[in-house]
Amino acid sequence: MLRLERVTRRFGGIEAVKELDVEVPPGARLGLIGPNGSGKTTVLNLISGVVALDEGAIFWNGARIDGLPTHRFARLGVARTFQNLRLVPHMTVRENVWLAQHSLPGANALRRGTEAEIARRARVDELLAELGLEAWRDAPVAALPLPQQRRVELARALAREPALLLLDEPAGGMTPGETHAMRTLIARLVPPAVTLIVVEHKLDLVAELCPRVAVLDFGRKIAEGAPDDVLRDRKVMEIYFGRSFPSPAKSGGG
Amino acid sequence: MDDYLVSVLANIGMFSFIALSAYLLLLTGEISFGQQAFFAIGAYASGIATALWGLPFALALLIGAAAGGIAAGLVGLLTLRTRGLYFAMATLAFAELVRLGLQQWVYVRKIEGEPVGPNGVDGFRGIRYVFENNIAPAEFLLIIAGLLVFVLAAFAVAERGRLGSMLRLVGADPLLAESQGIDVKAVKVAAAAAAGAVAALGGCLFAHLNTFVEPRNFDIMLGVHSLAYGLIGGLGTAFGPILGVLIDVGLLESVRVFQGYRMIVFGGLVALLLVFMPRGILDETRLRWLAARLRRAPQHHAQA
Repeated sequence: MLRLERVTRRFGGIEAVKELDVEVPPGARLGLIGPNGSGKTTVLNLISGVVALDEGAIFWNGARIDGLPTHRFARLGVARTFQNLRLVPHMTVRENVWLAQHSLPGANALRRGTEAEIARRARVDELLAELGLEAWRDAPVAALPLPQQRRVELARALAREPALLLLDEPAGGMTPGETHAMRTLIARLVPPAVTLIVVEHKLDLVAELCPRVAVLDFGRKIAEGAPDDVLRDRKVMEIYFGRSFPSPAKSGGG
Repeated sequence: MDDYLVSVLANIGMFSFIALSAYLLLLTGEISFGQQAFFAIGAYASGIATALWGLPFALALLIGAAAGGIAAGLVGLLTLRTRGLYFAMATLAFAELVRLGLQQWVYVRKIEGEPVGPNGVDGFRGIRYVFENNIAPAEFLLIIAGLLVFVLAAFAVAERGRLGSMLRLVGADPLLAESQGIDVKAVKVAAAAAAGAVAALGGCLFAHLNTFVEPRNFDIMLGVHSLAYGLIGGLGTAFGPILGVLIDVGLLESVRVFQGYRMIVFGGLVALLLVFMPRGILDETRLRWLAARLRRAPQHHAQA
Protein backbone atom coordinates (compact mmCIF):
# COMPACT_ATOMS: atom_id res chain seq x y z
CA MET A 1 0.00 0.00 0.00
CA LEU A 2 1.33 3.40 -1.05
CA ARG A 3 0.01 6.49 0.71
CA LEU A 4 0.84 10.13 0.12
CA GLU A 5 -0.39 12.48 2.82
CA ARG A 6 -0.73 16.18 2.08
CA VAL A 7 2.51 16.14 0.10
CA THR A 8 3.84 19.52 -1.00
CA ARG A 9 6.94 20.21 -3.04
CA ARG A 10 8.09 23.66 -4.13
CA PHE A 11 10.68 24.67 -6.70
CA GLY A 12 11.64 28.24 -5.97
CA GLY A 13 8.34 30.02 -5.49
CA ILE A 14 6.33 27.52 -7.53
CA GLU A 15 4.33 24.78 -5.84
CA ALA A 16 4.91 21.85 -8.19
CA VAL A 17 2.84 19.56 -5.99
CA LYS A 18 0.39 20.94 -3.46
CA GLU A 19 -1.19 19.08 -0.54
CA LEU A 20 -1.54 15.91 -2.53
CA ASP A 21 -3.32 12.92 -1.00
CA VAL A 22 -3.05 9.65 -2.92
CA GLU A 23 -3.67 6.08 -1.85
CA VAL A 24 -2.79 3.08 -4.01
CA PRO A 25 -3.67 -0.33 -2.57
CA PRO A 26 -1.33 -3.29 -3.20
CA GLY A 27 -1.55 -4.49 -6.78
CA ALA A 28 -3.70 -1.55 -7.84
CA ARG A 29 -3.02 0.47 -10.97
CA LEU A 30 -3.31 4.21 -10.97
CA GLY A 31 -3.01 6.52 -13.95
CA LEU A 32 -1.73 10.02 -13.36
CA ILE A 33 -2.78 12.55 -15.98
CA GLY A 34 -2.76 16.29 -16.35
CA PRO A 35 -1.43 19.01 -18.63
CA ASN A 36 2.25 19.83 -19.05
CA GLY A 37 3.73 21.20 -15.85
CA SER A 38 0.92 19.90 -13.68
CA GLY A 39 3.36 18.05 -11.42
CA LYS A 40 3.00 14.46 -12.62
CA THR A 41 6.70 13.76 -12.99
CA THR A 42 7.39 15.51 -9.68
CA VAL A 43 4.99 13.08 -8.02
CA LEU A 44 6.97 10.15 -9.46
CA ASN A 45 10.21 11.81 -8.38
CA LEU A 46 8.83 12.13 -4.85
CA ILE A 47 7.64 8.51 -4.70
CA SER A 48 10.98 7.22 -6.02
CA GLY A 49 12.99 9.42 -3.65
CA VAL A 50 14.66 11.36 -6.45
CA VAL A 51 13.46 14.66 -4.98
CA ALA A 52 12.59 15.34 -1.35
CA LEU A 53 9.24 16.71 -0.26
CA ASP A 54 8.80 19.97 1.61
CA GLU A 55 5.68 19.03 3.57
CA GLY A 56 3.61 15.94 4.16
CA ALA A 57 4.55 12.30 4.33
CA ILE A 58 4.89 9.22 2.11
CA PHE A 59 4.15 5.76 3.50
CA TRP A 60 4.98 2.47 1.83
CA ASN A 61 3.56 -0.66 3.44
CA GLY A 62 2.89 1.29 6.62
CA ALA A 63 6.45 2.66 7.02
CA ARG A 64 7.29 6.28 6.42
CA ILE A 65 9.82 6.50 3.59
CA ASP A 66 10.13 10.19 2.73
CA GLY A 67 13.55 11.50 3.72
CA LEU A 68 15.32 8.21 3.04
CA PRO A 69 18.25 8.28 0.58
CA THR A 70 17.20 7.52 -3.01
CA HIS A 71 18.86 4.09 -3.11
CA ARG A 72 16.82 3.00 -0.10
CA PHE A 73 13.58 3.65 -2.01
CA ALA A 74 14.86 1.34 -4.73
CA ARG A 75 15.81 -1.33 -2.20
CA LEU A 76 12.30 -1.18 -0.75
CA GLY A 77 11.00 -2.32 -4.11
CA VAL A 78 10.33 0.94 -5.96
CA ALA A 79 11.40 0.83 -9.61
CA ARG A 80 10.80 3.43 -12.26
CA THR A 81 11.39 4.52 -15.83
CA PHE A 82 12.36 8.03 -16.84
CA GLN A 83 10.47 10.32 -19.18
CA ASN A 84 13.72 11.60 -20.69
CA LEU A 85 15.32 8.13 -20.77
CA ARG A 86 18.28 7.40 -18.52
CA LEU A 87 20.30 4.72 -20.23
CA VAL A 88 24.06 4.25 -20.13
CA PRO A 89 24.87 4.96 -23.79
CA HIS A 90 28.18 3.12 -24.04
CA MET A 91 26.82 -0.06 -22.47
CA THR A 92 25.03 -2.74 -24.45
CA VAL A 93 21.28 -3.26 -24.24
CA ARG A 94 21.84 -6.37 -22.16
CA GLU A 95 24.15 -4.64 -19.69
CA ASN A 96 21.69 -1.76 -19.33
CA VAL A 97 19.12 -4.27 -18.09
CA TRP A 98 21.59 -6.43 -16.16
CA LEU A 99 22.67 -3.43 -14.07
CA ALA A 100 19.19 -3.22 -12.56
CA GLN A 101 19.98 -6.35 -10.56
CA HIS A 102 23.23 -5.10 -9.02
CA SER A 103 21.67 -4.33 -5.67
CA LEU A 104 19.13 -7.16 -5.51
CA PRO A 105 19.59 -9.47 -2.54
CA GLY A 106 22.17 -12.15 -3.25
CA ALA A 107 23.68 -10.37 -6.24
CA ASN A 108 27.35 -11.31 -6.45
CA ALA A 109 29.69 -8.39 -7.12
CA LEU A 110 32.57 -10.51 -8.37
CA ARG A 111 31.44 -13.94 -9.52
CA ARG A 112 29.38 -14.70 -12.61
CA GLY A 113 29.22 -18.44 -12.25
CA THR A 114 26.99 -18.84 -9.20
CA GLU A 115 23.60 -20.43 -9.70
CA ALA A 116 21.80 -17.25 -8.67
CA GLU A 117 23.84 -15.15 -11.10
CA ILE A 118 23.22 -17.54 -13.98
CA ALA A 119 19.50 -17.45 -13.23
CA ARG A 120 19.53 -13.65 -13.10
CA ARG A 121 21.30 -13.39 -16.45
CA ALA A 122 18.77 -15.80 -17.91
CA ARG A 123 16.02 -13.54 -16.56
CA VAL A 124 17.58 -10.56 -18.36
CA ASP A 125 17.62 -12.46 -21.65
CA GLU A 126 14.04 -13.58 -21.06
CA LEU A 127 12.90 -9.98 -20.52
CA LEU A 128 14.74 -8.87 -23.64
CA ALA A 129 13.04 -11.62 -25.64
CA GLU A 130 9.60 -10.74 -24.26
CA LEU A 131 10.15 -7.12 -25.21
CA GLY A 132 11.31 -8.00 -28.70
CA LEU A 133 14.83 -6.74 -28.06
CA GLU A 134 16.85 -9.92 -28.52
CA ALA A 135 18.18 -8.80 -31.91
CA TRP A 136 19.63 -5.70 -30.24
CA ARG A 137 21.00 -7.52 -27.20
CA ASP A 138 24.71 -6.86 -27.77
CA ALA A 139 24.32 -3.49 -29.49
CA PRO A 140 25.23 -0.32 -27.61
CA VAL A 141 21.95 1.06 -26.34
CA ALA A 142 22.60 4.43 -27.99
CA ALA A 143 22.19 2.72 -31.40
CA LEU A 144 18.51 1.90 -30.76
CA PRO A 145 15.53 3.90 -32.02
CA LEU A 146 13.50 5.70 -29.35
CA PRO A 147 10.64 3.18 -29.00
CA GLN A 148 13.18 0.39 -28.41
CA GLN A 149 15.05 2.53 -25.90
CA ARG A 150 11.78 2.98 -23.99
CA ARG A 151 11.43 -0.80 -23.98
CA VAL A 152 14.93 -1.13 -22.53
CA GLU A 153 13.85 1.22 -19.75
CA LEU A 154 10.81 -0.98 -19.09
CA ALA A 155 12.97 -4.12 -19.12
CA ARG A 156 15.37 -2.54 -16.66
CA ALA A 157 12.57 -1.55 -14.29
CA LEU A 158 11.05 -5.05 -14.49
CA ALA A 159 14.46 -6.64 -13.88
CA ARG A 160 14.47 -5.01 -10.45
CA GLU A 161 11.57 -7.31 -9.49
CA PRO A 162 9.66 -4.29 -8.15
CA ALA A 163 6.74 -4.18 -5.77
CA LEU A 164 5.89 -0.65 -6.90
CA LEU A 165 6.48 0.28 -10.52
CA LEU A 166 6.40 3.88 -11.73
CA LEU A 167 6.23 4.46 -15.48
CA ASP A 168 6.90 8.01 -16.66
CA GLU A 169 5.42 8.45 -20.13
CA PRO A 170 6.18 4.92 -21.33
CA ALA A 171 4.84 5.81 -24.79
CA GLY A 172 6.26 9.33 -24.97
CA GLY A 173 7.19 10.30 -28.53
CA MET A 174 5.69 7.12 -30.02
CA THR A 175 3.35 6.68 -32.99
CA PRO A 176 -0.13 5.25 -32.33
CA GLY A 177 1.05 1.82 -33.49
CA GLU A 178 4.06 1.86 -31.22
CA THR A 179 1.89 3.14 -28.36
CA HIS A 180 -0.49 0.25 -28.84
CA ALA A 181 2.40 -2.23 -28.79
CA MET A 182 3.78 -0.64 -25.63
CA ARG A 183 0.41 -0.82 -23.89
CA THR A 184 0.10 -4.50 -24.75
CA LEU A 185 3.60 -5.16 -23.40
CA ILE A 186 2.91 -3.36 -20.13
CA ALA A 187 -0.37 -5.21 -19.68
CA ARG A 188 1.31 -8.54 -20.33
CA LEU A 189 4.61 -8.13 -18.50
CA VAL A 190 3.75 -6.28 -15.29
CA PRO A 191 2.78 -9.00 -12.79
CA PRO A 192 -0.67 -8.52 -11.20
CA ALA A 193 0.81 -8.26 -7.70
CA VAL A 194 2.86 -5.21 -8.66
CA THR A 195 1.42 -1.82 -7.73
CA LEU A 196 1.60 0.36 -10.83
CA ILE A 197 1.49 4.11 -11.38
CA VAL A 198 1.53 5.36 -14.97
CA VAL A 199 2.10 8.97 -15.97
CA GLU A 200 1.10 9.56 -19.56
CA HIS A 201 -0.32 12.16 -21.90
CA LYS A 202 -2.03 9.54 -24.04
CA LEU A 203 -5.31 9.16 -22.25
CA ASP A 204 -6.39 6.04 -24.12
CA LEU A 205 -3.26 4.21 -22.93
CA VAL A 206 -3.92 5.24 -19.33
CA ALA A 207 -7.61 4.41 -19.56
CA GLU A 208 -6.90 0.91 -20.84
CA LEU A 209 -4.18 0.10 -18.34
CA CYS A 210 -5.54 1.71 -15.19
CA PRO A 211 -8.97 1.21 -13.62
CA ARG A 212 -8.40 4.43 -11.68
CA VAL A 213 -6.94 7.74 -12.74
CA ALA A 214 -6.07 10.90 -10.85
CA VAL A 215 -5.93 14.27 -12.58
CA LEU A 216 -3.41 16.90 -11.58
CA ASP A 217 -3.56 20.57 -12.42
CA PHE A 218 -1.03 23.06 -11.08
CA GLY A 219 0.15 20.47 -8.57
CA ARG A 220 -3.30 19.84 -7.09
CA LYS A 221 -5.43 16.77 -7.55
CA ILE A 222 -8.66 17.96 -9.16
CA ALA A 223 -10.33 14.61 -9.80
CA GLU A 224 -9.90 10.90 -9.16
CA GLY A 225 -11.93 7.88 -10.16
CA ALA A 226 -12.70 5.54 -13.04
CA PRO A 227 -11.33 6.88 -16.35
CA ASP A 228 -14.75 7.38 -17.96
CA ASP A 229 -16.12 9.31 -14.98
CA VAL A 230 -13.02 11.42 -14.56
CA LEU A 231 -12.87 12.36 -18.22
CA ARG A 232 -16.50 13.53 -18.04
CA ASP A 233 -15.70 15.68 -15.02
CA ARG A 234 -16.31 19.32 -15.73
CA LYS A 235 -13.02 20.57 -14.28
CA VAL A 236 -11.06 17.97 -16.20
CA MET A 237 -12.76 18.90 -19.46
CA GLU A 238 -11.97 22.51 -18.81
CA ILE A 239 -8.26 21.89 -18.46
CA TYR A 240 -8.11 19.55 -21.42
CA PHE A 241 -10.54 21.15 -23.82
CA GLY A 242 -10.86 24.73 -22.67
CA ARG A 243 -13.16 26.71 -20.40
CA SER A 244 -16.41 26.82 -22.31
CA PHE A 245 -16.65 23.33 -23.66
CA PRO A 246 -20.39 22.80 -24.07
CA SER A 247 -21.17 19.08 -23.73
CA PRO A 248 -19.42 15.91 -22.49
CA ALA A 249 -16.81 14.63 -24.89
CA LYS A 250 -16.32 10.97 -25.53
CA SER A 251 -13.67 9.47 -23.35
CA GLY A 252 -10.26 8.57 -24.63
CA GLY A 253 -9.69 11.83 -26.45
CA GLY A 254 -6.89 14.21 -25.87
CA MET B 1 69.02 -7.72 -19.46
CA ASP B 2 70.36 -4.26 -20.20
CA ASP B 3 70.35 -2.08 -17.06
CA TYR B 4 68.70 0.83 -18.86
CA LEU B 5 65.93 -1.38 -20.16
CA VAL B 6 65.39 -2.81 -16.68
CA SER B 7 65.06 0.65 -15.21
CA VAL B 8 62.64 1.77 -17.93
CA LEU B 9 60.51 -1.32 -17.40
CA ALA B 10 60.60 -0.82 -13.62
CA ASN B 11 59.42 2.76 -14.08
CA ILE B 12 56.63 1.65 -16.38
CA GLY B 13 55.59 -0.90 -13.76
CA MET B 14 55.67 1.51 -10.83
CA PHE B 15 53.81 4.30 -12.58
CA SER B 16 51.21 1.80 -13.76
CA PHE B 17 50.02 1.53 -10.16
CA ILE B 18 49.34 5.24 -9.76
CA ALA B 19 47.80 5.32 -13.26
CA LEU B 20 45.45 2.48 -12.29
CA SER B 21 44.51 4.29 -9.10
CA ALA B 22 43.51 7.43 -11.01
CA TYR B 23 41.69 5.24 -13.57
CA LEU B 24 39.64 3.54 -10.85
CA LEU B 25 38.37 6.93 -9.71
CA LEU B 26 37.74 8.08 -13.28
CA LEU B 27 35.47 5.04 -13.71
CA THR B 28 33.30 6.32 -10.86
CA GLY B 29 33.21 9.77 -12.46
CA GLU B 30 35.63 11.40 -10.04
CA ILE B 31 38.77 13.29 -11.01
CA SER B 32 41.62 13.16 -8.53
CA PHE B 33 44.59 15.49 -8.83
CA GLY B 34 46.02 14.02 -5.67
CA GLN B 35 46.90 10.36 -6.17
CA GLN B 36 50.57 11.33 -5.72
CA ALA B 37 49.74 11.87 -2.02
CA PHE B 38 48.93 8.19 -1.57
CA PHE B 39 51.95 7.20 -3.67
CA ALA B 40 54.01 9.31 -1.22
CA ILE B 41 52.29 7.83 1.83
CA GLY B 42 53.06 4.34 0.53
CA ALA B 43 56.68 5.29 -0.15
CA TYR B 44 57.27 6.80 3.29
CA ALA B 45 55.27 4.24 5.29
CA SER B 46 56.93 1.23 3.66
CA GLY B 47 60.35 2.89 3.91
CA ILE B 48 59.86 3.43 7.62
CA ALA B 49 58.69 -0.17 7.99
CA THR B 50 61.82 -1.69 6.45
CA ALA B 51 64.53 0.89 7.16
CA LEU B 52 63.55 2.01 10.67
CA TRP B 53 61.55 -0.87 12.05
CA GLY B 54 63.45 -3.66 10.30
CA LEU B 55 60.29 -5.35 9.00
CA PRO B 56 60.31 -7.64 5.95
CA PHE B 57 59.39 -6.15 2.57
CA ALA B 58 56.12 -8.07 2.24
CA LEU B 59 54.88 -6.62 5.51
CA ALA B 60 56.08 -3.15 4.46
CA LEU B 61 53.98 -3.48 1.29
CA LEU B 62 50.94 -4.30 3.40
CA ILE B 63 51.58 -1.40 5.77
CA GLY B 64 52.14 1.01 2.88
CA ALA B 65 49.00 -0.09 1.02
CA ALA B 66 46.92 0.04 4.20
CA ALA B 67 48.20 3.53 5.07
CA GLY B 68 47.41 4.77 1.55
CA GLY B 69 44.01 3.09 1.55
CA ILE B 70 42.99 4.47 4.95
CA ALA B 71 44.16 8.01 4.12
CA ALA B 72 42.35 7.94 0.76
CA GLY B 73 39.21 6.49 2.35
CA LEU B 74 39.15 9.29 4.91
CA VAL B 75 39.68 11.98 2.27
CA GLY B 76 36.88 10.38 0.25
CA LEU B 77 34.55 10.13 3.23
CA LEU B 78 34.96 13.84 3.93
CA THR B 79 34.81 15.15 0.37
CA LEU B 80 32.72 12.77 -1.77
CA ARG B 81 29.42 14.25 -0.64
CA THR B 82 28.70 16.10 -3.80
CA ARG B 83 29.48 15.64 -7.44
CA GLY B 84 31.56 18.05 -9.42
CA LEU B 85 34.95 19.57 -8.89
CA TYR B 86 34.79 19.38 -5.12
CA PHE B 87 36.68 16.10 -4.91
CA ALA B 88 39.24 17.23 -7.51
CA MET B 89 39.99 20.36 -5.50
CA ALA B 90 40.08 18.50 -2.21
CA THR B 91 42.48 15.82 -3.47
CA LEU B 92 44.77 18.49 -4.91
CA ALA B 93 44.75 20.36 -1.60
CA PHE B 94 45.33 17.16 0.35
CA ALA B 95 48.28 16.19 -1.86
CA GLU B 96 49.91 19.57 -1.33
CA LEU B 97 49.26 19.23 2.40
CA VAL B 98 51.02 15.85 2.40
CA ARG B 99 53.95 17.15 0.35
CA LEU B 100 54.41 20.23 2.56
CA GLY B 101 53.94 18.10 5.65
CA LEU B 102 56.69 15.76 4.51
CA GLN B 103 58.96 18.76 3.99
CA GLN B 104 58.56 19.52 7.69
CA TRP B 105 58.57 16.01 9.05
CA VAL B 106 61.73 14.72 10.72
CA TYR B 107 61.84 11.19 12.08
CA VAL B 108 65.49 10.18 11.88
CA ARG B 109 67.35 7.50 13.79
CA LYS B 110 70.98 6.48 13.69
CA ILE B 111 71.30 3.00 12.30
CA GLU B 112 74.85 1.67 12.20
CA GLY B 113 76.11 5.22 12.57
CA GLU B 114 74.11 6.51 9.58
CA PRO B 115 71.07 8.80 9.93
CA VAL B 116 68.03 7.03 8.45
CA GLY B 117 64.44 8.21 8.09
CA PRO B 118 62.33 11.09 6.79
CA ASN B 119 64.33 14.27 7.17
CA GLY B 120 62.19 17.14 5.90
CA VAL B 121 63.16 18.67 2.56
CA ASP B 122 66.31 16.57 2.50
CA GLY B 123 64.15 13.55 1.96
CA PHE B 124 64.22 10.01 3.22
CA ARG B 125 67.60 8.36 2.70
CA GLY B 126 68.75 4.84 3.39
CA ILE B 127 65.82 2.69 2.29
CA ARG B 128 68.36 -0.05 1.65
CA TYR B 129 66.27 -3.18 1.93
CA VAL B 130 66.78 -4.22 -1.69
CA PHE B 131 70.49 -3.52 -1.51
CA GLU B 132 71.00 -5.28 1.84
CA ASN B 133 69.13 -8.37 0.71
CA ASN B 134 71.07 -8.62 -2.54
CA ILE B 135 67.98 -8.32 -4.70
CA ALA B 136 69.17 -7.69 -8.27
CA PRO B 137 67.35 -5.04 -10.34
CA ALA B 138 65.98 -7.74 -12.63
CA GLU B 139 64.65 -9.63 -9.61
CA PHE B 140 63.00 -6.49 -8.26
CA LEU B 141 61.49 -6.00 -11.70
CA LEU B 142 59.89 -9.43 -11.29
CA ILE B 143 58.41 -8.34 -7.94
CA ILE B 144 56.97 -5.23 -9.60
CA ALA B 145 55.58 -7.28 -12.49
CA GLY B 146 54.11 -9.87 -10.12
CA LEU B 147 52.31 -7.25 -8.06
CA LEU B 148 51.09 -5.49 -11.17
CA VAL B 149 49.69 -8.75 -12.55
CA PHE B 150 47.97 -9.31 -9.22
CA VAL B 151 46.35 -5.85 -9.29
CA LEU B 152 45.39 -6.21 -12.96
CA ALA B 153 43.83 -9.60 -12.20
CA ALA B 154 41.75 -7.95 -9.46
CA PHE B 155 40.61 -5.33 -11.99
CA ALA B 156 39.78 -8.08 -14.50
CA VAL B 157 37.68 -10.00 -11.96
CA ALA B 158 35.82 -6.81 -11.00
CA GLU B 159 35.33 -5.96 -14.67
CA ARG B 160 33.78 -9.34 -15.46
CA GLY B 161 31.48 -9.24 -12.46
CA ARG B 162 28.85 -6.76 -11.36
CA LEU B 163 31.40 -4.63 -9.51
CA GLY B 164 32.92 -3.16 -12.66
CA SER B 165 29.52 -2.42 -14.14
CA MET B 166 28.47 -0.83 -10.83
CA LEU B 167 31.51 1.47 -10.86
CA ARG B 168 30.84 2.48 -14.46
CA LEU B 169 27.15 3.05 -13.75
CA VAL B 170 28.02 5.30 -10.81
CA GLY B 171 30.40 7.20 -13.08
CA ALA B 172 27.97 7.47 -15.99
CA ASP B 173 24.82 8.48 -14.11
CA PRO B 174 24.79 8.69 -10.31
CA LEU B 175 21.06 9.38 -10.13
CA LEU B 176 20.31 6.31 -12.23
CA ALA B 177 22.66 4.29 -10.00
CA GLU B 178 20.81 5.46 -6.90
CA SER B 179 17.48 4.55 -8.47
CA GLN B 180 18.86 1.04 -9.04
CA GLY B 181 19.47 0.73 -5.30
CA ILE B 182 23.17 1.56 -5.37
CA ASP B 183 24.58 3.69 -2.55
CA VAL B 184 26.65 5.99 -4.75
CA LYS B 185 28.60 7.62 -1.95
CA ALA B 186 29.57 4.28 -0.41
CA VAL B 187 30.74 2.99 -3.80
CA LYS B 188 32.81 6.13 -4.41
CA VAL B 189 34.41 6.09 -0.95
CA ALA B 190 35.27 2.40 -1.34
CA ALA B 191 36.74 3.08 -4.79
CA ALA B 192 38.76 6.00 -3.40
CA ALA B 193 40.15 3.80 -0.62
CA ALA B 194 41.04 1.00 -3.04
CA ALA B 195 42.61 3.52 -5.41
CA GLY B 196 44.65 4.94 -2.51
CA ALA B 197 45.94 1.47 -1.66
CA VAL B 198 46.90 0.77 -5.28
CA ALA B 199 48.75 4.10 -5.61
CA ALA B 200 50.50 3.41 -2.30
CA LEU B 201 51.71 0.03 -3.59
CA GLY B 202 53.43 1.87 -6.44
CA GLY B 203 54.97 4.22 -3.87
CA CYS B 204 56.32 1.28 -1.83
CA LEU B 205 58.07 -0.10 -4.92
CA PHE B 206 59.34 3.35 -5.94
CA ALA B 207 60.92 4.00 -2.53
CA HIS B 208 62.61 0.61 -2.36
CA LEU B 209 63.96 0.67 -5.90
CA ASN B 210 65.42 4.16 -5.54
CA THR B 211 66.53 3.78 -1.85
CA PHE B 212 65.86 7.51 -1.54
CA VAL B 213 62.72 9.61 -1.82
CA GLU B 214 62.10 13.29 -1.21
CA PRO B 215 58.91 15.35 -1.01
CA ARG B 216 59.40 16.90 -4.44
CA ASN B 217 59.10 13.45 -6.07
CA PHE B 218 55.42 13.70 -5.25
CA ASP B 219 54.43 17.03 -6.74
CA ILE B 220 51.34 17.91 -8.73
CA MET B 221 52.93 16.86 -12.04
CA LEU B 222 52.91 13.24 -10.91
CA GLY B 223 49.20 13.51 -10.17
CA VAL B 224 48.42 15.18 -13.49
CA HIS B 225 50.36 12.52 -15.39
CA SER B 226 48.65 9.67 -13.60
CA LEU B 227 45.28 11.17 -14.45
CA ALA B 228 46.31 11.65 -18.08
CA TYR B 229 47.44 8.02 -18.47
CA GLY B 230 43.89 6.70 -18.24
CA LEU B 231 42.51 9.48 -20.42
CA ILE B 232 45.10 8.73 -23.13
CA GLY B 233 45.17 4.94 -22.94
CA GLY B 234 41.43 4.60 -22.56
CA LEU B 235 38.75 4.11 -19.93
CA GLY B 236 37.31 0.92 -21.39
CA THR B 237 39.74 -1.45 -19.68
CA ALA B 238 42.44 -1.47 -17.01
CA PHE B 239 44.95 -1.93 -19.83
CA GLY B 240 44.08 1.59 -20.97
CA PRO B 241 46.05 3.41 -18.26
CA ILE B 242 48.92 0.92 -18.72
CA LEU B 243 48.97 1.84 -22.41
CA GLY B 244 49.10 5.48 -21.33
CA VAL B 245 52.14 4.78 -19.15
CA LEU B 246 53.79 2.86 -22.00
CA ILE B 247 53.34 5.81 -24.33
CA ASP B 248 54.62 8.36 -21.83
CA VAL B 249 57.29 6.57 -19.80
CA GLY B 250 58.21 3.93 -22.36
CA LEU B 251 58.30 6.18 -25.39
CA LEU B 252 58.41 9.89 -24.65
CA GLU B 253 60.61 9.73 -21.56
CA SER B 254 62.94 6.93 -22.58
CA VAL B 255 63.49 7.13 -26.32
CA ARG B 256 66.22 9.57 -27.23
CA VAL B 257 64.53 11.35 -30.15
CA PHE B 258 61.71 12.51 -27.89
CA GLN B 259 63.94 13.76 -25.12
CA GLY B 260 63.43 17.42 -24.41
CA TYR B 261 60.11 17.31 -26.26
CA ARG B 262 58.34 15.00 -23.81
CA MET B 263 56.04 17.53 -22.20
CA ILE B 264 55.22 19.17 -25.52
CA VAL B 265 54.31 15.89 -27.21
CA PHE B 266 52.51 14.60 -24.11
CA GLY B 267 50.47 17.77 -23.66
CA GLY B 268 49.57 17.83 -27.34
CA LEU B 269 48.57 14.18 -27.21
CA VAL B 270 46.26 14.78 -24.24
CA ALA B 271 44.64 17.75 -25.98
CA LEU B 272 44.15 15.87 -29.25
CA LEU B 273 42.70 12.81 -27.57
CA LEU B 274 40.30 14.84 -25.44
CA VAL B 275 38.88 16.25 -28.67
CA PHE B 276 38.87 13.15 -30.87
CA MET B 277 38.75 10.28 -28.36
CA PRO B 278 37.28 11.66 -25.13
CA ARG B 279 37.36 8.27 -23.41
CA GLY B 280 40.88 7.46 -24.65
CA ILE B 281 42.31 5.02 -27.17
CA LEU B 282 40.93 1.82 -25.64
CA ASP B 283 37.40 3.07 -24.97
CA GLU B 284 34.29 0.91 -24.61
CA THR B 285 33.26 1.14 -28.26
CA ARG B 286 36.65 0.23 -29.71
CA LEU B 287 37.01 -2.60 -27.20
CA ARG B 288 33.65 -4.06 -28.21
CA TRP B 289 34.71 -3.84 -31.84
CA LEU B 290 38.04 -5.52 -31.03
CA ALA B 291 36.33 -8.25 -29.06
CA ALA B 292 33.92 -8.90 -31.94
CA ARG B 293 36.85 -9.09 -34.37
CA LEU B 294 38.71 -11.53 -32.14
CA ARG B 295 35.64 -13.73 -31.69
CA ARG B 296 34.96 -13.75 -35.40
CA ALA B 297 38.50 -14.34 -36.59
CA PRO B 298 38.65 -18.12 -35.98
CA GLN B 299 35.31 -18.61 -37.76
CA HIS B 300 36.54 -17.00 -40.97
CA HIS B 301 34.08 -14.14 -40.87
CA ALA B 302 31.14 -16.50 -40.68
CA GLN B 303 28.85 -13.80 -39.37
CA ALA B 304 30.34 -10.84 -41.15
